[in-house]
Amino acid sequence: MKWPRTLASRLALIFFTGLVLAYGLSFSLQAYERYISSRSMMLSNLEQDVVTSVAILDRLPAAERAAWLPRLERRTYRYRLDEGLQGSAMPSTDPPMAAESIVKAIGAQYPLTFQDIPGPNAHFQAHLRLADGAPLTIDVTPAPVPVARWLPLVLLIQLAVLLFCTWLAVRLAIGPLTRLVQAVDTLDPDKPGVLLDESGPREVKYAAVAFNALQARIAAYLKERMQLLAAISHDLQTPITRMKLRVEVMDDSVEKDKLWHDLDAMEHLVREGVAYARSMDINTEAPCRINLDAFLDSVVFDYQDSGAQVERQGATGSLLETRPHALRRVLVNLVDNALKFAGKAQLEVSRERGKTLIRVLDEGPGIPADELDEVLKPFYRVESSRNRSTGGTGLGLAIAQQLTQAMGGRLTLSNRKSGGLCAQIEL
Amino acid sequence: MEHVDHILIVDDDREIRELVGNYLKKSGLRTSIVADGRQMRAFLEANSVDLIVLDIMMPGDDGLLLCRELRAGKHRNTPVLMLTARNDETDRIIGLEMGADDYLTKPFSARELLARINAVLRRTRMLPPNLTISESSRMLAFGQWRLDTTARHLLDSEGTLVALSGAEYRLLRVFLDHPQRVLSREQLLNLTQGREADIFDRSIDLLVSRLRQRLGDDAREPSCIKTVRSEGYVFSLAVQLLESPA
Repeated sequence: MKWPRTLASRLALIFFTGLVLAYGLSFSLQAYERYISSRSMMLSNLEQDVVTSVAILDRLPAAERAAWLPRLERRTYRYRLDEGLQGSAMPSTDPPMAAESIVKAIGAQYPLTFQDIPGPNAHFQAHLRLADGAPLTIDVTPAPVPVARWLPLVLLIQLAVLLFCTWLAVRLAIGPLTRLVQAVDTLDPDKPGVLLDESGPREVKYAAVAFNALQARIAAYLKERMQLLAAISHDLQTPITRMKLRVEVMDDSVEKDKLWHDLDAMEHLVREGVAYARSMDINTEAPCRINLDAFLDSVVFDYQDSGAQVERQGATGSLLETRPHALRRVLVNLVDNALKFAGKAQLEVSRERGKTLIRVLDEGPGIPADELDEVLKPFYRVESSRNRSTGGTGLGLAIAQQLTQAMGGRLTLSNRKSGGLCAQIEL
Repeated sequence: MEHVDHILIVDDDREIRELVGNYLKKSGLRTSIVADGRQMRAFLEANSVDLIVLDIMMPGDDGLLLCRELRAGKHRNTPVLMLTARNDETDRIIGLEMGADDYLTKPFSARELLARINAVLRRTRMLPPNLTISESSRMLAFGQWRLDTTARHLLDSEGTLVALSGAEYRLLRVFLDHPQRVLSREQLLNLTQGREADIFDRSIDLLVSRLRQRLGDDAREPSCIKTVRSEGYVFSLAVQLLESPA
């Protein structure tokens, strides 16, 4: 048998098997005990009863005997005044205990022959001759001690109680664990975490407190990291400004161009750094209802006006509750990325199953499948084809991802069948 | 004697203000430099300037405060160009809300600054706007629309946000600043070609039709932006300043 996979079912199995076994054992022990004692009582009753009955029948005049028979009849045996039925001789080994008792009771006074009567309800008969030579047959139908009708019902109820208690105990034990797992699962340092309920049994309370503390610590570290990034980026802006201003008044030369280029790269990095640090707390922007088509148009037209090849496909005609600046930033980052690697970009919008999907498509080289998740991490850059002269800070996609998440959406990257990259925002 | 524009640069970083000052001077402008708000006030008492370049992040009174002060006093018509060390949408919005005419994010290049200065000067001189946008009233209302002049988007009668591209916003803003006045294509081109100068490849006509579409204006029977044959366009609706709802 396969060991069940969930902790709940394992615990339930152990508890239940244990309880049922223990209970079953004690029940059978009791039943056995009762069986033994009641049997010995029955047999001794039988002995006395048979002695008395046979003695009575023997003393009675032959004519009165038949009238006494019903009075002497018992549940498992009765007397007959004939030769009895013809059966097979009872084997001498392992005779029924009732037969032994009969032998013990009257075997000394009357010679007995036992015959097994086969049939649907097998029984046996003891034949003897009374003092006047009249035949007497004791017909014995061994039957178990009768069991109360309510016993199975009580058994069932007890089983049900066992089951219920097992379920309750397992639930009690598993519940907090499940909640903890859920909390850890949904633990997202970028969002204010959901605090676990710090109540319940002591162990559960400790776990909840520990988890909440862990969550707070992670959030604090992340915040610190972001503040560091923001501070460095921010403080670099002034020196870069000075340098740019100085380079600008230099005489034209190759060196000047190179310096200028480097400064541009630094500036870009600093801006992205600040933007990334800020993307952590976009809650400053209030969500509002926007006309999605007009919004996408405005993004696309801004690109077209500056001479970039960006097109829009599809329309939803829908209104969307969102944070427009954050969404714009996400789209701009994705489109910039597409333009950088493919030179062209397409914005596609659709509504599917109650969700708004915005896709940024390009026909560039795409991203190796095993790096699709990696590129969403800050400062990660695809080594192969992507970083030739394009540089980039490795923050654009991270910012997009961060903001999309903060908006309650999802950003997924995939390679298109026809080649190129598809970045999908699900809102 | 020909008028030489006088630019006042207010920045607490000595190197930056000197470098900027020298560059602008070399470019044919008259420049003065001061280090903080106190000096700025003293300077403005004694001199008149055509434009103020104001750094936001300064010890003591910061740029936003100074800008608000300027807008409230006798220099309310002097254009202000903000320099901000932060790169964030909210800074831009705050800056413009405080009454700055334009803003520039550090690190910037002196050439870019010069281009912006010229654009702002040209804009304020060519056609001074009929309405003065101020901190408390940044909403322009016309027809069933409202234009948020700091966040730069339209709101319809139900409060739904309708985004505008940069060029669309600038064109609409020119129209709203000069309603019921015929504007030639050259004027429109000049007034709208802001800092990105991105309007060159797109004719004004295309932009007007895009804007009409955005406003739900029928191109054959336009009610907002009417075509004046061989002259240009006119914005025919009345424009109102709204007190800020926020």
